[in-house]
Amino acid sequence: MKVRSLVSVVDDDESLRESLPDLLRECGFAVEAFSSAEEFLASDFRDQTECLILDIAMPGMSGPDLHSELIRRHQEIPIVFMTAHGDSNVRPRMLERGAVECLLKPFSESDLLRALNAALDSTKLT
Amino acid sequence: MKPVLRILHLEDDSTDVDLVRETLAAGGIASDATRVDTQAGFVAAIASGSFDLIFADYTLPSFDGMSALAIVQQRLLNVPFIFVTGTLGEEPAIEALKLGATDYVFKTRLSRLVPSVQRALREAEERNELKRSEDALRASEEQLRTIIDCLEGFVWSANADGEVDFLNQKWCDYSGLSLRDSVGQGWRCTVYSEDADALASYWGSLLHSGQPGEYEARLRRFDGVYRWFLMRAVPIRDVGGIITKWYGLNIDIDDRKRSEDALQRSERFLAETRRLSLTGGIWRNAVTGKSIWSEEVYSIYEIDPSAQSKVEILLNKLHPEDRSRVKDAMDRSHTLAADFELPHRVLMADGRLKYIDLVAHITRNAEGELEYIAAIQDVTERKVAEQALNRLRSELAHVSRVTSLGALTASIAHEVNQPLSGIITNASTCLRMLAASPPNIEGALETARRTIRDGNRASDVIKRLRAMFSKQEVMTESLDLNEATREVVALAFSELEKESVVLRLELTKELPLIKGDRVQLQQVILNLLLNSADAMKAITDRPKLLVVRTDRVPEDHVRLTVQDTGVGVEPQRIDKLFEAFYTTKPDGMGIGLSVSRSIIERHHGRLWAEPNDGPGATFAFCIPLPVDSMPLDIACDTPSTNAVRAIGSL
Repeated sequence: MKVRSLVSVVDDDESLRESLPDLLRECGFAVEAFSSAEEFLASDFRDQTECLILDIAMPGMSGPDLHSELIRRHQEIPIVFMTAHGDSNVRPRMLERGAVECLLKPFSESDLLRALNAALDSTKLT
Repeated sequence: MKPVLRILHLEDDSTDVDLVRETLAAGGIASDATRVDTQAGFVAAIASGSFDLIFADYTLPSFDGMSALAIVQQRLLNVPFIFVTGTLGEEPAIEALKLGATDYVFKTRLSRLVPSVQRALREAEERNELKRSEDALRASEEQLRTIIDCLEGFVWSANADGEVDFLNQKWCDYSGLSLRDSVGQGWRCTVYSEDADALASYWGSLLHSGQPGEYEARLRRFDGVYRWFLMRAVPIRDVGGIITKWYGLNIDIDDRKRSEDALQRSERFLAETRRLSLTGGIWRNAVTGKSIWSEEVYSIYEIDPSAQSKVEILLNKLHPEDRSRVKDAMDRSHTLAADFELPHRVLMADGRLKYIDLVAHITRNAEGELEYIAAIQDVTERKVAEQALNRLRSELAHVSRVTSLGALTASIAHEVNQPLSGIITNASTCLRMLAASPPNIEGALETARRTIRDGNRASDVIKRLRAMFSKQEVMTESLDLNEATREVVALAFSELEKESVVLRLELTKELPLIKGDRVQLQQVILNLLLNSADAMKAITDRPKLLVVRTDRVPEDHVRLTVQDTGVGVEPQRIDKLFEAFYTTKPDGMGIGLSVSRSIIERHHGRLWAEPNDGPGATFAFCIPLPVDSMPLDIACDTPSTNAVRAIGSL
């Protein structure tokens, strides 16, 4: 039996933490949800996470802050950013920083899966 | 050659006159006689001419020698009067000498005439000499008295026991006392009561020791005013060293005393001002590096006044970012030779930061060395308050900004995107669950329910937005429009100052309270103030005057008027001003005035604009008084700070 890839979701919005993991599980992923960047950093699942779906604007440590912190710790988990601030300037900036994808909320299932696959592929290459 | 002796000769026989002249000539005395033989002739002669000698016969047909002598005596003429007569009994002769005749010579014994005349002239000369020296003495005494009376001060003398026996006229003029009332101890009544005992004991000690001395005391002027005098006393001793007299001079030092007092007062005042205003003074010689600090400097910098090398300690306390700048200024101050300002920060031992303003003035001392005098002031509280005010202002600006459309759409987008995202994700999950085999009905139901919930959430956002722009009841509290205005002015003040706007507040006192939403009304006022400031931005040819006025208008409204001298408004465009998205500013959103108008309308009031008679425009709003107009004493129960906090927390 194929081992399910662990996808971690970090978002301060509770309804997203309910809905997105359910969909991901339906799509065949193992999922852990965290309400803040700090909670994720402190978690044991950090090392097992194969892809991180990360909200940009959060109280406390922001998504990009967490990204930088992971780079500093040489723990380069592929990251897919999400944001509800529908600003078209954000996506290129995030890609430039090394994100696999940046999804603007609301996003479709196909956009999500395309981004996830790209993320998981990027790890397989290395 | 001897001068010719001028003689008045009372004689009826001219032969006798000639005989007398010849006798005198024989005795070596040249003479020129004027003969008279009547009373009238005699009086006229002594009145018209000056004679060295008078000869008189004892009896004449119509006059007599004794009467002539009486006339001479009466006129106090210092002219020798010698009877030259044929006969004279012993008694009349003694009588004549008693009355003042100089001598008498019988015509029968003229040989006595020359010695008699010589003696008479000698005596007369002696008398004249005495009179001249008496006159000279009198004149010099008078001169001395004039000098003494002209001296700016009271000259006095006292006997060895200290009893005053003389005072000059200046004293009498000043005190209003006569000399008689002043001598002895009489002058003491003019000494100010607080000074009297000390002066008496000092004067007593001088009399006892015999030493000269001086003392300051107040003396009463004739009009009751007391003035300060410096009193000097010097003893005069006889050859045996015994004090015979005291001389003294009292000088009016009231003006000097007053200026001394004033100086002391101003020094005290300066010290007090320094203390109250937390201002310290530093004096520093730029050449020697020597410096003097006032007490406050030590307390401001929190340095022990007894510490050595205080400048070193101070430099170490300076904020690291300011240290080199301050050192630089100190090093350069003696070459710079110009006034300078040097604001800096110091770090206290416990980590507190103090903001210090320093203003230095350059001067030169008597040796021409450069010195500076600096005032330093602890402005920490002001700085902190300024920073707090700046924060408040930026928060207020933020409030205005979030009402601007760009920020509003971003905010709306975020609020709507979140639930939309949930809806799409949940719907996708739901589809997957239903499409699975077997279908996960339970999960699908759950996700469908979440879809509905998120849909409602999105709908709530829209409802709230609508509520925000719909006619809703405003949050009402009783408020004083003057106070609300003052708070906004305080917030906008430095912004206006930066633009060199001259602000004039004309707030009508005891304005009735209105009911309304304080924060919203303040937003309107701020909007009007900043609009006016913007309208005056480019004005250079006239003062940028901004008048903010409140008043009550008939019958039941209060009005706020903002009048500027800016670019003004065109009458046909006034209505457009209040349309949303209409703007005259290159960077404006054009919603400030439309939002303001809707706020005022929600207060059942009116906001309008009109051009001024002169340059500029006037914006005004009026708001009706509450129907159940409250009495003034239930004044606004919201302290002003609450309103500011309310703005800040929005």
